[in-house]
Amino acid sequence: MNAGKWIVTLLAGIALPLVASGEALTDVDEIVERANLAAYYSGEDGRSEARMMIEDSQGRRQLRQFTVLRRNEEAGGDQHYMVFFSRPSDVRGTVFLVAKHMDRDDDRWLYLPGLDLVRRISASDKRTSFVGSHFYYEDVSGRNPALDEHRLVETTDAHYVLESTPRDPAAVEFVRYVTRVDRDTFLPVKTEYYDGQDRVYRVMEVAEVEDVQGYPTATRSLISMPLEGGSTLMEFRSIEYDVGLPEDIFSERYLRQPPTRWLQRDGG
Amino acid sequence: MRLVRARLFCGALLLCAGGGDPALAQDADAAAEDDPFAAFEEADWEDPWAEEQQGLDWTGFIETAAGARWSDVPNLDRLTLGEFRVRAETRYVAEHYSIDFKGELLWDQVVTDLDAQLRELAVSFTPARFMDVKIGRQVLTWGTGDLLFLNDLFPKDFISFFAGRDEDYLKSAADTARVSFYTDVVNLDLAWTPDFAPDDYLYGERFVFWNPALGAPAAPETPRRAAAPGDDEIALRLFRTVGPTEYAIYGYDGRWKQPLGADADGRPVFPRLRSWGASVRTPWLQGLFNVETAFYDSLDDPQGDDPRIPNSELRLLLGYEQELVRNLTGGVQLYAERISDHDRLVENAPVPARAREKWRSVATLRLTHRAWRDALTSSLFMFVSPSDEDFYLRPSISWRRDDHWSLSGGVNLFGGREEHTFFGQLEENSNGWVRLRYNY
Repeated sequence: MNAGKWIVTLLAGIALPLVASGEALTDVDEIVERANLAAYYSGEDGRSEARMMIEDSQGRRQLRQFTVLRRNEEAGGDQHYMVFFSRPSDVRGTVFLVAKHMDRDDDRWLYLPGLDLVRRISASDKRTSFVGSHFYYEDVSGRNPALDEHRLVETTDAHYVLESTPRDPAAVEFVRYVTRVDRDTFLPVKTEYYDGQDRVYRVMEVAEVEDVQGYPTATRSLISMPLEGGSTLMEFRSIEYDVGLPEDIFSERYLRQPPTRWLQRDGG
Repeated sequence: MRLVRARLFCGALLLCAGGGDPALAQDADAAAEDDPFAAFEEADWEDPWAEEQQGLDWTGFIETAAGARWSDVPNLDRLTLGEFRVRAETRYVAEHYSIDFKGELLWDQVVTDLDAQLRELAVSFTPARFMDVKIGRQVLTWGTGDLLFLNDLFPKDFISFFAGRDEDYLKSAADTARVSFYTDVVNLDLAWTPDFAPDDYLYGERFVFWNPALGAPAAPETPRRAAAPGDDEIALRLFRTVGPTEYAIYGYDGRWKQPLGADADGRPVFPRLRSWGASVRTPWLQGLFNVETAFYDSLDDPQGDDPRIPNSELRLLLGYEQELVRNLTGGVQLYAERISDHDRLVENAPVPARAREKWRSVATLRLTHRAWRDALTSSLFMFVSPSDEDFYLRPSISWRRDDHWSLSGGVNLFGGREEHTFFGQLEENSNGWVRLRYNY
């Protein structure tokens, strides 16, 4: 919405490869901010189809398919997300709405079509399974970087290696996490979460990156659970940025009445 | 398939063990090489939102369920749930409208009857930018209560709820025209049901209830049904969300949703009802807080002195919900009903000792535990009424094995000190149930 900021972001985007191929950044806050922008704020808005393959520790597989709409209030700031499920049949018609805030807890709602019920999800309930997958609700819209303290521990040829510790350890299940941020694209390509015994129990890694309208975009990512077994692979397709999503899409109205025009490919 | 799975998994493990940069990219590629989605048709990627796509996409489920009470009751079977159900659903999306359909075929062993049920058949369209319309058979829900309803006067199916059917069936469908207006200031929902849609109330099949003539809970030999009044009902909601807080004002003009009145011959009737109310829901502390109130104006008994018609009442609800520890959510609600003109109610009651208290209070507790990434959900819902000294416990457990199979079971336990109170009268209906469902 903020045109000035948008132009700055755009310029930063163009200048990015030049800086990256040159000297490495040393300011951890700048790396974190750029990684956050690269992972969650591409374009002013976006539309994408996604599917998840969930595999449990016994090797049983499940599928989820959905369409995601996103709109930024401002780059790096507040955002709206909406996730419309189409498969499997028992979650078809379910819609997840997130209003992500920088200065307070995110607001989250789940629409259950069987009851025509708009259920609100409490803020504390964010690091729990997102529709049965190994992704958490918080992974969908991204964790607010301000919730953790970040440290640049290493700069390799390809990556910045960051270590992050929670400001409120009681609110999360991890003790720390280590993220590798690609120096060229600023996409976080691997994150390892450590438990109280300093074991890696959860790993997020990007398996495929594509250039979409000039934005490097993670199109395939995997969450795996090395200790308990099981994984979820998420894949994105038909990604479009800057489709011109109106602000009012992200409201109770469109939980009940999906905005078909904006959900269709090449919609709008 | 097994081989592919093993390789993908090992790939993931290797990645976790190794930490070097060059290995990272290679292993990630290797993991991606074997397509884990291969088991699923490429057709899955066909645009799920395309208009007039490749014909209608049918989904649904097949379910079998059984349940039984644990006490013998005259006139009633031990079986409280015994059915085989086939559900089919589809949605047709055209450029300017869409049609939703949900239909069922149900064999019900308790009433030994095969029944076709239409759960949804409604057309939705947007006649103006600020307006949505949905007309036809549909389920509607609003309000902030959890299994307690103040301003939600859409029909409910308590028979399904008490028998252990899926919680979705607590809400029955009605033939309604819903018109919604959206503005920058406030939004308005209007729901007009031309033919009054009552609750599915206890009438004598399957469950016993308090029988004033006998002075005991019983199932009448001939089911006690009220005649349909044949007039309309209208419900409205004005709502707005400001920041994180949701505000709503409600109105209703129709009838009590259960036949709580009696005519001159003692036959059950649905007395007229008008209600007004409001609610607020907002984040508070680590969780969510809600408050809701409604005033039920019993139009057929304005003085509160007619013993055959319920008095007006005020309803109040406070609720709070939060995650207690990871994957365990707790919710508490405090609910009260205050009867208007209570002194006149007692004066005119045929048996004053059994007349309702001026205040009826109910506290509820919900505990929900999710394990195995939501695959195993255990839940306990507890209603306890300090004023009536009765209770209703609903423990249940549900296992979603995969995208197709799920198995659930639970108990409905009613009890109380007296036999005529809200939950106390249901004591002999206490039952256990299991359900097996296949989603297709």
